[in-house]
Formats: sequence, C-alpha cells, structure tokens
Amino acid sequence: MGRHSAKHVRQLRSSETQTGQPDRTPGTAQPDPVVARAVDLTKTYGGGDSQVVALDHVNVEFARGAMTAIMGPSGSGKSTLMHCMAGLDTPTSGQVFVEGLEVSAMGQKQLTNLRRQQIGFIFQSFNLVPTLSAEENILLPLQIAGKPIDRAWFNQVVHVVGLEQRLTHRPSQLSGGQQQRVACARAMMARPSVIFADEPTGNLDSRSSREVLGFLKQSVREYGQSIVMVTHDPRAASYADRVLVLADGRITRDLNHPSYDDILEVFAGEGDEDGDYAA
Amino acid sequence: MIRIGLRDARSHFRRFAMSIIAIALGVAFVVGSFCFREMMNNQVSEMMATNSDHDVYVRGSDEVTDDDSSDGGSSDTGQSDSGATEYNTISIDLTDAISKVDGVEDASVTYSVSGVVLVDANGDAVATMGSPTMATGFSADHPWRSATFTSGTYPTADDEIALHSFAAEKSGLKVGDKAKVVYSDGPKDVTVTGIFATDATQAGAIVIGVTPSVAKHYSDLTNDEPDKTGRIGVYGSANGGKPLTDAQQTELADRINAALPADAHAHAITGDAYRDEATKSTQDALGFVQPLILIFAVIALFVGSFIIANTFSMIVRESMRGYALLRSIGASPMQVFSTVIVQAVLLGLVGSGLGIGLGWGMVELIVAVMAYMGTPLSGAIAPSATDMIAGLIVGLVVTLVGASLPARRAAFAPPIQAMNETVNPEKPVAPRGVAGAVLCVLGAATWLWTARIALADGDPTSIDALNRFAAWTGTGWPLGVGAGLLVIGVIMLGPALVGPAGVVLGWIPSHVFPVTGRLASRNLARSKRRTANTAAALFVGIAIVSCLGVVASSAKASVASIVDTGLKADFAVFSASSGQIPEGAEQAIRDVDGLKSVSANRFILGAKFDGERVQGMTFAAQDTLFTDVFAPEAKAGNADEALRGGQLVVGQTIAEDRGWNVGDKVRVTTENTVVDEDATAKAQADYQASIQAQIATLQTQLQRQTAARDIAGAQDTAAKIQQVTDDAKNVDPASFVKTKTVKVDKELTVGAIISNNVYRTCVIMNDELGDELGTKQTMFTTMMYLVAEPGQDVNDLQERLKDAVKSYYVVSVMNRDEYKSTMSSMVDQILLILYALLALSIVIAIFGIVNTLALSVSERTREIGLLRAIGTSRGQVRGMLGIEAAIISVFGTLLGLAVGVAAGVVIRAVYASQGLEVLSIPWDQIGAFLILSILVGLIASVSPASRALKQPVLDAVSSE
Repeated sequence: MGRHSAKHVRQLRSSETQTGQPDRTPGTAQPDPVVARAVDLTKTYGGGDSQVVALDHVNVEFARGAMTAIMGPSGSGKSTLMHCMAGLDTPTSGQVFVEGLEVSAMGQKQLTNLRRQQIGFIFQSFNLVPTLSAEENILLPLQIAGKPIDRAWFNQVVHVVGLEQRLTHRPSQLSGGQQQRVACARAMMARPSVIFADEPTGNLDSRSSREVLGFLKQSVREYGQSIVMVTHDPRAASYADRVLVLADGRITRDLNHPSYDDILEVFAGEGDEDGDYAA
Repeated sequence: MIRIGLRDARSHFRRFAMSIIAIALGVAFVVGSFCFREMMNNQVSEMMATNSDHDVYVRGSDEVTDDDSSDGGSSDTGQSDSGATEYNTISIDLTDAISKVDGVEDASVTYSVSGVVLVDANGDAVATMGSPTMATGFSADHPWRSATFTSGTYPTADDEIALHSFAAEKSGLKVGDKAKVVYSDGPKDVTVTGIFATDATQAGAIVIGVTPSVAKHYSDLTNDEPDKTGRIGVYGSANGGKPLTDAQQTELADRINAALPADAHAHAITGDAYRDEATKSTQDALGFVQPLILIFAVIALFVGSFIIANTFSMIVRESMRGYALLRSIGASPMQVFSTVIVQAVLLGLVGSGLGIGLGWGMVELIVAVMAYMGTPLSGAIAPSATDMIAGLIVGLVVTLVGASLPARRAAFAPPIQAMNETVNPEKPVAPRGVAGAVLCVLGAATWLWTARIALADGDPTSIDALNRFAAWTGTGWPLGVGAGLLVIGVIMLGPALVGPAGVVLGWIPSHVFPVTGRLASRNLARSKRRTANTAAALFVGIAIVSCLGVVASSAKASVASIVDTGLKADFAVFSASSGQIPEGAEQAIRDVDGLKSVSANRFILGAKFDGERVQGMTFAAQDTLFTDVFAPEAKAGNADEALRGGQLVVGQTIAEDRGWNVGDKVRVTTENTVVDEDATAKAQADYQASIQAQIATLQTQLQRQTAARDIAGAQDTAAKIQQVTDDAKNVDPASFVKTKTVKVDKELTVGAIISNNVYRTCVIMNDELGDELGTKQTMFTTMMYLVAEPGQDVNDLQERLKDAVKSYYVVSVMNRDEYKSTMSSMVDQILLILYALLALSIVIAIFGIVNTLALSVSERTREIGLLRAIGTSRGQVRGMLGIEAAIISVFGTLLGLAVGVAAGVVIRAVYASQGLEVLSIPWDQIGAFLILSILVGLIASVSPASRALKQPVLDAVSSE
C-alpha cells in the first residue's frame, strides 16, 4: 500500500470517490489495480449423492482501494468465497491470488506470513482476545509479527474510530459496537493489502452498524484501504463501491455503486426466496 | 436417558483415556498399599509363628517404662524402639523350676547372636541384602520345633553348625562341609552337620544353628546381665511334639504360673498371646509404609478427580446444545444429569478395575524384585475382597465427585444460555484466599514455635503456662499440625496466588516472548481455581520430596562435618559384628607398619551411674583421644584435661538427661564376674584330696589283697588305681573354675561436657579408670582410630591395614572419605526411593497439566482461531501453551519447594540434638527441580497444543 499524506487523502476524497476506480497513488510505480482475484474457483463439500457445490467456477477480481460487498442468500457461497480468498479455506480447484501471490498453493507457514503482511480480518463476533486491553488487541498483529509500531498511525486510527478513552478497557468492558471498532482498528493497524470482513455488523444495532460502516468507508476513502465484506444486510451493502450478488455458487449480479434502493430492487426481483433479506 | 449416556460414553471413550489412567493409578496405590501391608503382615505373622513357636512364654511380670527415653532417646545404642511394652527381665534359673512342671517338655532360653558372618567353603562371606545373619542356639535337648532337618542333624559340638535351607542355598554348603563363622571375637572353623527348613521364609536372613552353649556364650558378651533373660520359651508335651491348642496353652500357662516362685517377678502367657503381641508391634513398626504409599494415592486421586472434572467440563461444554435440545423437548434436569453420571460410573468402574489389577501387579512385582535381590517373602499378596471393594468404592466416589459439578451444570443450564457459548465468570477467589492465608500463617507460627522448643536451651519462653504446654506437646505434634495447616492453607490460598504468580513468573517469558508470554500469563488468571488445583498436585509431591531432600542432605552434611571438622585420625576401624573388634584383629592392626598412633575405644558393659545406666555408651579411651582423634567441642570444662586427669567426659545429651554439670560427683558402679582364685584353688585342692584319698584306700586294699595272695583281686585293684590316676590327669581344669561377682564402686567427677556429635550419648573415661571398673571380659574394643606416620602413602597403608584384618571378615578399615560415605550411601538409598516417588508424582502432575490445558484449549478454540487468523504462527501458539504449562508447573514446584524446604529446616532444628547438627539445603537439587518443572510444563503442553492446531482456523472463527 502506498503511504498517503493528509493532503493527498483530501484530494483523493474529492476526486475519486465517485469513480470507484482503484486507488492510484502518485509516486508509487503503477500498482496492480486488482488487489485480489479468483480464477475458476470451485469448492465442493462432500461427495457422491450428497455433494454440495458451494462455488461453481467463479472468476472475480477485487479492486484496490475500494470496498466490495458480497451478498447472497444462505448457502449461496458468499462466505465460502471470502474464506477461500482469505486462505482460511482451500478451494477444490481453481486459484486465488492476493497481491499476485497464489494463496491456494500456500502452506501453513506462508499462510501465516500472508496473514501478517497482506490480510486483515474482521469477524462477526469474537474478534478480540479477551485477556488483552483494547490497545493491546489493536497492536497484537504487529507484535505477533514482530513489526515495529508506528505510533503516529496508531493515534490516527484510534482517533478515527473514536476509541481514545477506551484503550485500557478489556473487551468485556466495551459495547458490541466499540468491540467491532477495536476490531476495525486492529485490521487497519498493520495496513494490510486487503481487509476481509465477515458480517462485521451482523451482531450490531443499527446505530453501531452505521458507525462501523462509516469508519470502513472512511478508511477506503481516506487511506485507500481495500475491503471485501460479506453481508446480507442491504443497508450495509449500500456503503460499498461495488456489490456482488451470489446465488448457488455463481455471481449473478455485479452492481457498481448501487444505492440502497437499487439493492432492495435486485432482491425483490430475485423473487420470494430472498424476500426476508429486504426486511 | 441412560442409553444416551452410554452412547455418549462410547463416543467420548478416547477422551476418557486420561481420566481412566488417573483413576487407575490412584486406585492402584490404594489397593497396592493394602496389599503390601497385608503381605508384610502375613510375612511377619508367619515368621512369628515359625521363629517364636513356643507354647508358653514366661516373661517378667512388671512393665518397664523407660523414663529417660521419652524424648526419642538415643539411637546410637542400637536399642530398637519397637513400641512394644517392655517387661522386667527374669532369672534364667527359672528354667529348672519350669521344666519340673507337669506337661512341660522343654523350657529354655533361646539365645540368638546377630552380626555374625557365615563364610563359605571358598572363603567368601555370604552376603545378604540388608537382612541379618544370626546364630541361634538349639539342640536335640532344646529343639526348635518349627525347624525340620532335611539332611544331617543337630550340631552337638562347639565347632559344629546347622544351616537354614536359605543359608545353605546362598552359601552352597552341604552337610559335612567345612566353613567358618565369624563371631565377635574372630572367625571360627566349623563343620556343617545338618540343614533344616522352616515353614516361613526368613525374609533373606541367614540363620545358623549352633549349640545353645555357643549361642549363650556370645550372647552374654553383649549382655549386661548374663544371668537374666527377657523370656523363657516352653514347649508342652500334651500333643506329643505338636503345637498345643489354645486351650492347652492356657492350661499349661496356668500350671506354670502356679509353680513360679512369687519373688521371681515372672509370669507365663500363652504362645498365641505372645505372638499376637509381638506380631502387632512389628506390624506397627512397619506400619509407616502404608501411609507413605497412601499419600501418593491421595495425590493421584486428587489429580484424578479434577482431571475427571475437567474432562466432563469439556464434554458437557461440547454437548451443551444437545442437552439444551433434550431440555427443550421435555427432559428433566435429573434426566440430563443422569446421562452425564452414567458416563462417570462407567469410567469409574473401568478405572478402578484397572487400578485393582495394577496395584496387585505392583506388589507382585515388588515381591519378585525383592526375591531376586535376595529377600524372599512368602506372605500372600492377592488383595482380599474387602481391598478390592475399597478400591472400587474409592475410584467410583472420586469419579462421581469429579463429574457431579459438570453434570449439574449440564442439567441446570437454561436451554437458551446453553445455546450460547458463554463462559460464566469465576467466583471470586479472595475469601478462600483469606482463609488459606490464615491457615498458612497459623501453620508457619506453629513451626516457629516448634523450632523454638527444639532450639531453646531449657524453657522456650518465659511464660510458665506456655512452657508446660510445650513440654506436654513435645516437638512432634506441633511439627505435624503445622505441616497439615500449611499444606491445606497453601492449597486453599492457591487460587488467590495465581494472579500474582502469573505476573511474577510471567515476567521473564513476557519479556523474552512479548506477545505469547503475555497472552500465556494472562490466560492462567482466567480460571484461577483450575490453575491452582493443577499446580497443587505438583505442590504436594515436591513438598514431600524437597523436605526429605533437605533432611537427607543435612544428615549427610552433618556426618561430613564430623569428619571434616573433628576427626583428626586418618582411619577409623569398625566391626560389623556386635560392634566388637576381635582382639586378634586389634593386634594385627597394631602390628602394621606406618602408624603413628592407634586409639582404641573400649566399651564398658553394665556401668551404672548413681545406680542407673545411662542411655548411651560408656567407654574407656587413651589420653590422646581428644588430641589425636577428635577435637573436643566442649560445652563446659576442658575435655582433654578431664580425660587425662581421671575425670568423666560426658556427652551433652546425657548430661542434659541426668542434669549433670561440671564438678558434679557421680557414683559409678560395675558388677563383673571374675574368676574367684581362692575358690578355684580350693576346688582343685578338694578334688586332689579326694583323689588321693581314693588312691590311698585302693592301695590299702591292694596291700591287703597282695598279703592274701588274691592275685585276681590285686590286679583288679591295681587297674582301678591306674584308672583313678588317669582320670585325675585328664580332668578339665576348667570344671574347677569358680567365679564370683566383684562390685566396683567409685566416685568420679564430671570433668567436661562435650557436644561432639559422635560423643553426645557417651560417657568417656581414661583407660586407667576403665581397667579399674571393668574386666577383660566385660570390656571390648568397639572402635579404633589410626593416625598414619607423616609421609606415609595413605592408600598404600590402607591396603596393608585391610590385608591385616582380612581374615576377620567383619572388621572394616575406612579412610576419612569412606567414613563420611557410610552415612551418605544409606541416605542416598533413601533418596533413591524418594526420587522414584517424585517421578510418580511428576507423571501424575503431567496428566493434570495436560488435562487442564486441553480443557483450556477447548474453551479457547475460537480465540486461538482468531489469533491464527491475524497471523499467529503455529510455533507461537505452541509457545503460548508451553509457557502457560511451564508457569503452572513452576508455580506448583515453587510452592512445594517453599513449604518442603521450610519443613526440612524445622525438622532439622527439631532433630539437631539427635545428630542433624548442620543444616544443608541442597540448592543444586532445588535448581534441578525447577528446571525439571519447566521441562515438565513444556512436555505437558505438546499434546494440547497439537490438538489446538489441528482445529482448522475456519472452524474456529466462522460464526455458525
């Protein structure tokens, strides 16, 4: 990832947010506009009669410096796609690349390195180590990897997520929204190439959801962070630059900067089966 | 519901393995300790029935209480503190009176001499594994009913012996073979006349049968009162040589009691009663073995119970959703409870069953090993039905106790809460911690009090009531009570200590491994009780072992310091046989070239001080004792001058016992049996006179017959004269020897009181006084100290000395280092057993740690998955768990070391006056324990860490 001066960030905010184009940072030699891609990705569970196809020859590219939302009904394969992209699950066939590195061919050691260097995670729940304070949780990935801590960046991230007063608290002393914001800060802290967020607002009330999504959006806008987010909440998806809709292991729709209504419409059009998603 | 429980048990069986092992080990110790005790008891009563097989015993009628030895007394005198009631001794002349009682076949005193050595035909001493070699007197007239000759017959002459079958087997001797028996006065050539068998094995002892007169002779040498005995054994004739029934024994005892003179202070009891009494006291003496084994049984079961609790916690956690389902479809809490309890019962039965077999096998193994090492035991081993049921009940109860809490949790968790995976916060540990701390403080105070009593010269405090209390309790009770309070206190305090301990012990790891170290030390504080309980197993084991380690090391150091600081001589000479160095051996040593000086300590038998014997040893030594052998540590007076000046030098313990101070006058009396020269001369003269009178009569007769030309008669008379003359020539002059008892009565002054460890229980006087007080017969050399001439090669000299006494077998010449190590090697053997026990408690502790970690890992599946997802490597996860385990283990070890070493220090203080003069804390050993504990933790973490890593990251973090 490129480093941004505050000035740059402000420029970027005004000029590029509407285009949805990958972040091109001046001074960095033409980075790949694609941060992660899946090639002919197939994942099946079980075998014989009971075989379930979770992903069916999926080809997809995730743009750098953008937030991509993956939507779809239960069993559509959206979580499987993200898990395979993040190296948490191994595909049955096909390839996965993050920053040009083939994730699908990695061993445990390389995967550990990938997680340290390129990937950040935000889960639906249980994001934080209960024995560590908020600050320690945020710094944990850097310390695990033995990387130096950039205090200025830390202060900035903490300021953005609004946790200055909460740094010494343990997770059990934080609200659900605060916990998710700590998780976001942690994911941001190591400046990974891409953050995978798995239903990050799934357990939050709508106000906390807005706060977390706002922060994620802000990190994309201001710092050019790439984020891939799985969600089934159309409101959350409406924060994304691009929305992919999966059904039966295939990408059925690819929406660019859809509004909340656009998304609702898509699901309404999909028929009764997805009616509950609009609720 | 039971069916569900059984199915669950089958699916969890692999997870139960560890619980089963723990229960099996615990039950094995319980059953094994019962088996072992029973086996020993059987062995003891079998040996009793064989070795004390008289129908009636006559012994003193008055109980004798030893007032002087209430405080443990001295162990140097070799008196066995068997705890049995002792009775006054009775005159051996009573045998005549008893023999005349109707129905008595034989009444005799059985004399036994221990400390002899049997030398086989090749000239090699027959060695035993610590069991004694003893010579027992019996003959055709005074037989040993339980001994049956398999070949040959009784020894009839002084140079004949019979051998017990085990002795014959060990020595390879057969009837007619020549051998040697080494008695206290040197080796004697003997011929084997017979080999006999006994019903019970003799537990590895070498038993030699000799004529009663030989046995009495050597037995008298070490007996203060040769004409007295502890008991007289009586065989009855009612059953024609077979043992009498109980009723017959009673009848015979009554008849003997009626015949016993009233002033004999003797009383007859039945053989059965005597054997029961003796068996009981021996069994009591061996009784310490079982509690020792039981301590480890308790540790194993304690660990077992919470391994089971942990295992069931894991199972219950994983099955919560299932239970919630059962509850929501209408199962009662009791029914859910029973599904868990059924599994526990199954586990308890399997574990206990295995444990019973294991315990039995352990004892069988011990017996097999002991037989192999030369101590055959014939006591039955198989556990009785009660033992098995006891083991089974113990195993079941422990399992049920362990499983009941998790089962309760399963049963009463509201279905909704069960669906969510929430870990209930722990109950606060502070109240329990306070109670534990109070107990610890009380325990420590009790120990300080104990040490104060032990170390105080006189009264421990200035308050009279407290002093009386101290005198009443002695040191044993406060010592034990303090230990109990501390152990329970520390176990209760444990959970409260986990937090601080995690911080302190985690300090190094969290600085060396910033992330994993910190995570590990904080994880421990999450479930403080569990962590503390896990550590407790190690705590108890380490405490016992380190306490004994300190005592053992202090014992070694104390002996070493005697040698290092006090002993000036180059060699010490001892004898294994009754402590007596044969005269010939003494002379042989004196003849060796290269010795500058030789000091011999001569033991004075039967010396009484102000009418009472001392609890210790009285001996005479050369004037040079304190200049050449041991530097005196005088508490009062000048020991060297006192010895030279003909005063008594008294050991501190005796002086305190008797309240003697320097300058006190003490009346010393001895009674010696000596040859009465006048009476002997008179007896000889009388005999000669009677012979002369006979001859004179015969000669007169001869003259008369010659005059009467009675040739045949004259020849006959001449032959008679010849006969009488020959008889007179051949008569044994010894038969005229008359003895008398000479009393020596001297008033001596206590010249010095010394605190040298070796002389604490001794009264020492110089040779001159010794010769006045004793006779050659009552004095014998027990110890010799040799100083080499300057410039002599000490090793070479030792070789020559050893050669000189080689033919005496029992005499050993030790240089300074060997002298030190005589004690050390014994201590080392005890330590070896300790280390075996330590190994066992470590194994059990490892199980505990493995189990606790496994539970902890199963609780933290998602957290570990999260850590992995954000880039924690496999090594870091292993490291984290390794550090956790190591901290648990070091925590337990440190607590154990603290309490154990403190216990050792207190015990050392208590027994300081009994020889533990120097406190030595084996720091290297303690360091080794600590390092070992780290290793133990690391090893214990391997398998839980593997289990944690086997879990795919995805499973751990996915929200479904």
